[in-house]
Amino acid sequence: MTNVSQVQDETLQIAHVTKRYGAGSTEVTAVHDVSLSVSPGEIVLIMGPSGSGKTTLLSMLGALLKPTEGTIQLNGTMISALEENRLPDIRLKQFGFIFQDFNLLSALTALENVAIVGELAGAKSGEAKRKAASLLTELGLGERLNFPPEKLSGGEKQRVAIARALVNDPRLILADEPTANLDSKIGHEIMRLLRNIAKEQGRSVVIVSHDQRIKDIADRVLWLEDGEFKETVTMAIDPVCGMSVEREKAVSLESEGQDYYFCAQGCRDEFKNKLKSAL
Amino acid sequence: MIRLAFRNLFQNKARLAISVGGVALALLLILSLDAVFTGVERQITAYIEYSDADVWVSQAGVLNMHMASSSLPDSVARKVRAVPGVASVTPILYLTNNVVYEDERNLAYIIGLPESAEMGGPWKVSSGRSLPGKSEAIIDRTIAEKAGIKMGDEVEILGEEFEVTGLSEGTASLVNSVAFISMDDFEDLRGNYGTFSFLLVKVLEGESPELVAARIQAQVRDVTVQTREGFARQERRVVQDMSTDVVTIMNLIGFLIGLAVMALTVYTSTLSRRREYGMLKALGARNTDLYLTVLAQAILSVILGFLVGLVLTLLLTVVVPIFGSNLALEVSRASLLKVASVSVVIAAVSAMLPIRQIAGLDPAMVFRGR
Amino acid sequence: MSLARRNLFQDKTRLALSIGGVALAVMLILVLKGFLAGMNRQITSYLDRSPGSIVVAEEDVVNLLGATSLLPEGVDEKAERIRGVEEVTPILSQFIILELHEKKQPAYMVGYDPELGGGPWQLVAGREPRSKKEMVFDRVLAQRHNLTLGDRVEVMGQDFTIVGLSSGTTSWMTSFFFVRKQDAENLLLAPGATSFLLLTTSDGADLDKILKRFNDFSDVNALTKREMAANDLKLFARIFSAPLKLMVGIAFLVGTMIVGLIIYTATVERQREYGVIKAIGGKNRFLYQVVVTQALFASIAGSFLGILLANGTAQWIMSARPQFLIVFDPVDSGQALLAGLGMALIASIFPTRVVARLAPAEVFRK
Repeated sequence: MTNVSQVQDETLQIAHVTKRYGAGSTEVTAVHDVSLSVSPGEIVLIMGPSGSGKTTLLSMLGALLKPTEGTIQLNGTMISALEENRLPDIRLKQFGFIFQDFNLLSALTALENVAIVGELAGAKSGEAKRKAASLLTELGLGERLNFPPEKLSGGEKQRVAIARALVNDPRLILADEPTANLDSKIGHEIMRLLRNIAKEQGRSVVIVSHDQRIKDIADRVLWLEDGEFKETVTMAIDPVCGMSVEREKAVSLESEGQDYYFCAQGCRDEFKNKLKSAL
Repeated sequence: MIRLAFRNLFQNKARLAISVGGVALALLLILSLDAVFTGVERQITAYIEYSDADVWVSQAGVLNMHMASSSLPDSVARKVRAVPGVASVTPILYLTNNVVYEDERNLAYIIGLPESAEMGGPWKVSSGRSLPGKSEAIIDRTIAEKAGIKMGDEVEILGEEFEVTGLSEGTASLVNSVAFISMDDFEDLRGNYGTFSFLLVKVLEGESPELVAARIQAQVRDVTVQTREGFARQERRVVQDMSTDVVTIMNLIGFLIGLAVMALTVYTSTLSRRREYGMLKALGARNTDLYLTVLAQAILSVILGFLVGLVLTLLLTVVVPIFGSNLALEVSRASLLKVASVSVVIAAVSAMLPIRQIAGLDPAMVFRGR
Repeated sequence: MSLARRNLFQDKTRLALSIGGVALAVMLILVLKGFLAGMNRQITSYLDRSPGSIVVAEEDVVNLLGATSLLPEGVDEKAERIRGVEEVTPILSQFIILELHEKKQPAYMVGYDPELGGGPWQLVAGREPRSKKEMVFDRVLAQRHNLTLGDRVEVMGQDFTIVGLSSGTTSWMTSFFFVRKQDAENLLLAPGATSFLLLTTSDGADLDKILKRFNDFSDVNALTKREMAANDLKLFARIFSAPLKLMVGIAFLVGTMIVGLIIYTATVERQREYGVIKAIGGKNRFLYQVVVTQALFASIAGSFLGILLANGTAQWIMSARPQFLIVFDPVDSGQALLAGLGMALIASIFPTRVVARLAPAEVFRK
């Protein structure tokens, strides 16, 4: 399913992207004719079974892999067509990565882990450290700045990773199973953080995950299977009970040109009654 | 990235210890061998340097004292004394023999000194007399200590008994020592052929030793004349020329060992951090950023190894003489410079393998291998 | 064992480097020892190959290559009269420094009478000296300085002509050269002087008795050639043993460190694997075996390679610098293998301790 609007300030636009490995009889198509647009502030969740091509797709989005066919545009730049030597700069400044295994540098402290990415992008050491400190403090790690990763809990490590992803102010955040190694309470916190980053900071967030709970914060859920998008699900919040519901599956109501979606008939009825009494 | 190099290096203490240790030992091989030879050079020129003579006269064609023999007729002393600029001359007799005490033999240069010799005698005595009288001998203190010889004991030199009446300082080397007896005794035992071995010359106040030496060379036949400095230099060259090939081989071996250890540790270190480096690439680090880190790690290790090797060598120079083998080590500036350059090459070469590893790292690997 | 092999071979480069490191260490140890053995052979070459079995020297002189020796007059006649002595070979010898192409070359001059012997034992070119100022020069030394028959060499200010080239008369420190005894006497300004007498005894002669006869004379010291050679060896050994032992010790340490590093990092990086093995019931002993096998393999392979390298290096050194003699004997090679094994065992200690302390729960830690 393609998003029809082709607005110029879309953060991410991928068009008919295909990735094939191997040749001849051993050829494998990991991703087939995939298209997607992501707007600023939007949270897109890509789900799918193992081997569906999620990792390949994410790698291409992150400019770690070149598509065999199709184009990937980021902030107006055609990154799929760029030479390898231009990519590090893009990777540093245009997007931030969050990994399932956190992937922090074991020999550096939390502060240094975040600051080093700033330094790589050209910031002076002092400046990078300041920015890192403020980001980490915002994320509640003000007391942990000088801790090495081995002394941090899973949730703290992921928050350091998030700070690291944000330090160069990217417009796109890519997250690979960000909650997979966290328990449910911490997982919730991380999800909330990601949502804030998208909504309050206006960044696009693309998450690849098995975790059903992430649906709660996603704006759109895409199902990737055998390298193709099989289903798009758009999420909405039930105005009565506050639950996340999938538009396509929910009971709905239209009122004054506005669509409302409900978790069940009961909430819908309640809403209808409220409207009636307001009139 | 330098900070990352630092932290990576110190994170794995065992590996750091081995890389620094291996380099230190390899450099120690080179430094200590150099130090042995420099020490020997210093020792064998001690007698000449401290002799107080400005100019040395020897048999024509004889430029050395060690491993050489020189003979001049007595008349030469008269002729040299007559050369303008010469203040005084002291002839000495000299040959290699043994100082024997009980059953122990110590190889020594036996110097026969004329009565009230101004030059050519021991320059520092820790006890006793500084010039030997009849049937007296002055021997080196460290030799005496090792053999248990005390002042007043009798030692056998050139087949005769001599009483030890003085103990000299600085007169021993790895190979032998210097012992002093009177010229009369020397001639009694070796026969008086009307010759002496070397002539030590002091020049008049204000005269240049080089000029006086040149004058003597021109005016006296069948002699070789050298300034003290020139003579000492000739002696040092004996050791230097003899040791060149051995030193070169040891340098090569030390270099190879240091390189092997460094290459190995930098390689295993980079290997164990593949994921981290791959991840950094995914985040946007350029190849050159990572090369810098690996190179910095190599250089830091080598610098540490160099310092440790140097400290160990200096320790050896202090500790070894205590064991009294008369092996004196001395670290020369040239040796330091050479080893420093060797270290730089080791660092650069050992960094090449990991640089290639990093260049080949695919940033997409950060997702694989889960 | 297959686990050990798999671990080790998994990283070919690491394996190669570890074997290489041990090989270098073993090679160094062997070359040093071979150098010493070769040097010893060179030092005693004159005594080994010269005539006679007894050497008469000045009193208190027990070395050929140490103190200067000057025999009192008339000793050779006394020697001839002693029962059991068949031949008396006098020589006058002295260390000299030659200046060859601005390089100082210590040399041992032997002045001898060609009719009585005591000169070069193997000529590869030319002849023995017959007249004034002729010399037999060592072949290797001549080659190093581009000298050949007919060339002149200055000895203590006098020019000598090379009329013969000898072999087996060199070492890395000095060389022997031979002139007529008379020429030596002239150079040293010591007419009629003799340093040593080499005595050839008749078959079945009682050496001890002869020695005692000589030692009854004052002013002389008689000893068997073998004893004198041993003294020369001791003299040089005293000088070289300390530096040599130091180098050998360092080489051993380096080899151990390299193997230790490999095994240690391989062990640490496979902590999880080993933890799993423990969790499913594998014993420490099994894991020790794995670690030690890895170390042994690297060390044995490295030792063999080291022996090969040592031989190759020795050949190369001797052809590039023929004044060096490096000889290996099977005992040394055996010792080298032992050294390699020693390195392996010591190198395994630390990693096995890591393995021993591994808790099976390790596998579940993040």
